[in-house]
Amino acid sequence: MPFREVNSRVVEAVIAPGQKMFSQRGAMLAYRGEVSFTPNVQGGQGGVMSMIGRRVANEATPLMTVEGNGTVMFGHGGHHIQVIQLSGDTLYVEADRLLAFDGTLTQGTMFMGSQGGVMGMVRGQVTGQGLFTTTLKGHGAVAVMAHGGVIELPVTPGRAVHVDPQAYVAHHGDVRNKLSTALGWRDMVGRGSGEAFQLELSGSGAVYVQASEEKL
Amino acid sequence: MATFRLQGSKVLAVDMTGDTVKAKNGSMVAYDGQMAFKKMTGGGEGLRGMVTRRLTGEQMTVMEVKGQGTCWFADRASEISLVHLRGETLYVESSNLLCTDAGLRTGTTFTGLRGASQGNGLFTTTVEGSGQAAIMSDGPAVVLRVTPQYPLSVDPGAYIAHQGDLRQDFQSGVTFRTFLGEGGGEAFQIRFEGDGLVYVQPSERNTVGGDV
Repeated sequence: MPFREVNSRVVEAVIAPGQKMFSQRGAMLAYRGEVSFTPNVQGGQGGVMSMIGRRVANEATPLMTVEGNGTVMFGHGGHHIQVIQLSGDTLYVEADRLLAFDGTLTQGTMFMGSQGGVMGMVRGQVTGQGLFTTTLKGHGAVAVMAHGGVIELPVTPGRAVHVDPQAYVAHHGDVRNKLSTALGWRDMVGRGSGEAFQLELSGSGAVYVQASEEKL
Repeated sequence: MATFRLQGSKVLAVDMTGDTVKAKNGSMVAYDGQMAFKKMTGGGEGLRGMVTRRLTGEQMTVMEVKGQGTCWFADRASEISLVHLRGETLYVESSNLLCTDAGLRTGTTFTGLRGASQGNGLFTTTVEGSGQAAIMSDGPAVVLRVTPQYPLSVDPGAYIAHQGDLRQDFQSGVTFRTFLGEGGGEAFQIRFEGDGLVYVQPSERNTVGGDV
């Protein structure tokens, strides 16, 4: 079920009987019809193993299940909302940026260290985003939050995109990411340009970047 | 020359083919192609520039970005406006300056009472030459034309930049009512006369004048 953008900070979703959706707890602004909100005790889908995985990975943002028959408006903290349509591919996003997503999407966590080896692990430390990230796979829509507006930059083979770790929001497609450094001796003595670490995304897909270097 | 374009209202995209731009330190959000980032010691313009900036408090931390490809800049979700300079001077607070062509010269100038009322100090930054600059505002900026027949008065907290052949005057409407706490909240204005453009943001910084 698609999201309708009410304005840049509010989206509306239609909930039909038999369908469900997940949203960040407390992100409901208003609803019409018969809609129920239940906290997700299981911690999402994918059974106990996935739950433990999320707990360990610290990607356990409290979610709630939204079911019923009606329309629901979502928004959170005045952040800008970007709706991303998935058609069989995987979206990589930090759990705390997830506002709401289609219940048909499969949720999982990915160990960032598996991409880019040791630098992948350093990435989490440097960016403050942890070692794990949430993945959503399948066909459906996802609403993610960002500070300021979001631009979508295409990643194509031979044209890698470098992103400031604080401005990175999410990416999808067949994209590899690794932490690249431009650390010179100047950075060590505190004379850096402030752009010492970047995420390098290569392959084919797209990356979403927010117009700010502030975390949510 | 580097091409400046806006992607949305809050992200500046600069297309470069081996040329250089100066940008606020740490404002890069993404790039493709090859880019090199170098902090300009003391904000550029050599030792003299550094010393004046230190003295005037118009500190800028500027980096030089040189490369081939596209570099995207943004800063705390501020709205961005593009300014074309054709041999003129742009007066802007250093905190509102995001990015300039490397060919533009930056300096500092005395603003007198205006600066003090804005809470921005007595000095402001000047950008001179021919090329493009990107300035930031809290909310989308409005560009107001000033002609000899139509002078303009601006709230010091909403002023962000001006260009052209303008004289500025500090105006105060302080009366005894102000001292009785019955003021209109608009006791101070900057009055611009001459021929040029003034950039105003739809929000007011906290200024000394804002409370009276």
